Amino acid sequence: MDPGSAAAVAAPAVADARQSAPMLEVAVRKQLGSFRLDAAFRTDSHGLTALFGRSGAGKTSIVAAIAGLLRPDEGRIVADGEVLYDPERGIDVPAERRRIGYIFQDARLFPHLSVADNLRYGWKRAPAGDRPISFDAIVDLLGIGHLLERRPRRLSGGEKQRVAIGRALLAQPRMLLMDEPLASLDAERKSEILPYVERLRDELRILIVYVSHAVEEVVRLANTVVLVDDGRVVAQGTPESLSHRLDLRPLLGRFEAGAVVDARVAAHDDARQITRLEFGGQTLILPRLDLAPGARLRVRIRSRDVILAVERPTALSAQNVLSGWIAEIAREEGPYAEVKVDFGAGAILARITNDSVNRLALVPGKAVYAVIKSVAIDGHAVSAAPLDLD
Amino acid sequence: MLTDAELQALWLTFKVSARGVLFALPFAIACAWLLARRRFPGKTLFDGVVHLPLVMPPVVVGYLLLVLFGVKGLLGQPLNDWFGIRLVFTAAGASLAIAVTTFPLMVRAIRLSIEAIDVGLEDAARTLGARPLDRFLTITLPLMLPGVLAGAVMAFSAGLGEFGAVITFVSNIPGETQTLPLAIYTATQTPGGEGAAARLALLSIALALAGLILSEHLARHLKRMLGH
Amino acid sequence: MAFRFGVPIRRLARAAGALALALAAAAAGAQGVTVFAAASLTNAFEEIAQAYRAQGGSPVKFSFAASSTLAKQIESGASADIFAAADEQWMDYLAGRKLIEPATRSSRLGNTLVLITPASGRRPVDIKPGFDLAGMIGNGKLVTGDPAHVPVGRYAQQALTKLGVWDAVAPKIARTDNVRAALLLVERGEAPFGIVYGTDAAASGKVDVAGAFPADSHPPVSYPFAIVAKRNRPEVKRFFEFLYGPEAQAAYRRAGFSFR
Repeated sequence: MDPGSAAAVAAPAVADARQSAPMLEVAVRKQLGSFRLDAAFRTDSHGLTALFGRSGAGKTSIVAAIAGLLRPDEGRIVADGEVLYDPERGIDVPAERRRIGYIFQDARLFPHLSVADNLRYGWKRAPAGDRPISFDAIVDLLGIGHLLERRPRRLSGGEKQRVAIGRALLAQPRMLLMDEPLASLDAERKSEILPYVERLRDELRILIVYVSHAVEEVVRLANTVVLVDDGRVVAQGTPESLSHRLDLRPLLGRFEAGAVVDARVAAHDDARQITRLEFGGQTLILPRLDLAPGARLRVRIRSRDVILAVERPTALSAQNVLSGWIAEIAREEGPYAEVKVDFGAGAILARITNDSVNRLALVPGKAVYAVIKSVAIDGHAVSAAPLDLD
Repeated sequence: MLTDAELQALWLTFKVSARGVLFALPFAIACAWLLARRRFPGKTLFDGVVHLPLVMPPVVVGYLLLVLFGVKGLLGQPLNDWFGIRLVFTAAGASLAIAVTTFPLMVRAIRLSIEAIDVGLEDAARTLGARPLDRFLTITLPLMLPGVLAGAVMAFSAGLGEFGAVITFVSNIPGETQTLPLAIYTATQTPGGEGAAARLALLSIALALAGLILSEHLARHLKRMLGH
Repeated sequence: MAFRFGVPIRRLARAAGALALALAAAAAGAQGVTVFAAASLTNAFEEIAQAYRAQGGSPVKFSFAASSTLAKQIESGASADIFAAADEQWMDYLAGRKLIEPATRSSRLGNTLVLITPASGRRPVDIKPGFDLAGMIGNGKLVTGDPAHVPVGRYAQQALTKLGVWDAVAPKIARTDNVRAALLLVERGEAPFGIVYGTDAAASGKVDVAGAFPADSHPPVSYPFAIVAKRNRPEVKRFFEFLYGPEAQAAYRRAGFSFR
């Protein structure tokens, strides 16, 4: 995926096609057996909004309602200024007229059509003369040119999803819904597809609602995270801000808990094979990254990889000793506690024992040092950060 | 090997059965789709009525056709008075008798193949802008084609052997309604006709077997082509 | 008393013996009579069987169909006690295969052959040699039993041949597998003409007799009766005689058969 390729040339043409910043307003109430769905959120600009939560939290039902495949009992759905669902005004636009692309977890390519015919299916049904997203551009963007004559049953899982993405885009949608598109893929395929989703977000500038229960995907892709639990929207915000909320930790996953940090590549040191990152006035040192200086990226620092000290430690192998103060302590019922360390323009979390909290007499406001091994910084979570939103 | 009359019966049987099946096919597809994809009040009753010809004695089916489609019948009278269409004593009537008695077989096979189609594919088509008829023609119909074909060929094979309904509704007219089963029956009743009866019976069996094998073969071939 | 497993043996044995005897008596005695008869005898025979029952006779089971069909069934071992055919040929068929009791064979019933039309007030047809039946049928059909094997169809073919119109009429014939089916189709107005027995036309209220075929245009319609080979049990013989008795004769005449 070379930024200098044909796709990069095509991208500006595709990007121009997105005229205004679409807006999405969703309110859905529905009784599904014994499960009650009552969720509402809005997002004011394009970019990727992740619906994050456990399996069974209701995320798929929400996107199904947005697409028009599920009819709520009550609610309101407005996309791009057009009311799609409003029972009080008797409006319920059928799914086939909502112009909302949907990428399913199981791809759902039509088995009796070739890849090329699958791609063209939605394209043929979009109003002629208003098809800014072109066939060739999408084929290039997703790298599926060599697959066009094949039948879906001869594609790998990753190839199927790329074709599914292309098919949805060629229908000229006003926005995209992606329902756990990587869930049925193995780790290698996932890392193959993730960059394509990033390109959709950054180059096509199309509003994406992305359902996932995987933290790494959300951290890497989302501009906004909508946290869904038991049918309700519990919180909404950037990955960074949500990751700092200790009250949400149970929902964000115990073992994967950590802070998301929005950083910038400051410099590389080839002799020492390290890279310096800057965030909120602090410096992080990592093993050498392959990113240009000035590049923005998100980094996830797992809280169990952070050590706290009340005196500045010396002669450590750990490369990172950050100085800040305790913002918040959340003691758990067991032996653990989660501590939020603030640096003014950034924060991270540390997971230590209650015993240590007592021993070091940690209280909010106290000055501390946070020690992080450079190798502990989650390499997989390192990615180009989403571009600034308009 | 076969006399002219026997060859005539054979050819007539083919034509009559094929026309009957083709005529019934759109109705069978519609009924199968309703039963597979829709819920409505009285669905069980509807299902029962569709399957009636399968469990009723064929002679009764023939008699009911006479009552409905004879020149004094509920449907036969308008057909005759307005369009001049008569069904008793005609090959068309024989086709109708075959269409009715093989209808349940077609509906069953087609319904099974519709139910085997992933509804999710139809949802995907919706999100791509396809309206109901469009979805049916471009997604559902192609994917149920193996079932439709298998059902049609099976019904055709069964139609080759239909006797009771045909002879009761349209009687036995060589060249017009004397299908293979009727010819075999006449041969068995005629003194000295055992030889002809045996020949025709063997022929009948061979045709039925060929039809069943063809149906299987077609279904499998199509399934592969459609990516199952 | 000797007990085995707590049950009185000798008393049981006596009861079992009595039961066996009773069953055997029932089997040998009132088993019922099965009659295979030509379709045109339906109404008359059912009346006669009712009268027989009223007099205390055994129950009679009937199977009415074309004589050809019945003869073939008897040949294949069908369980008939009495066979009543509508022409001599089919009785000859079974006689030749030694499937009837030859001493019991007799033919005393006769019938007429008539040309019928749906009950619509059509004027009578003069049936004579060379009459333009084909022209009268026009684009419609003439319904009768299959001339290849059904007796009424055979009589019809013989009559039409004798009158010289068979070649013209033959292509317009619709064949049924028994005479009553032909009657039904004419009753329902499906065909302008049919050829059935006089008794059938009389039994139906929905057809008119356009004309009767002259007796010399066809072999006399004759109904041979016979007991099936090895079936002359006393109760079969009793009903067979009843079939020629005074009550039966009255029934035949009422229906329109001739009796000798």
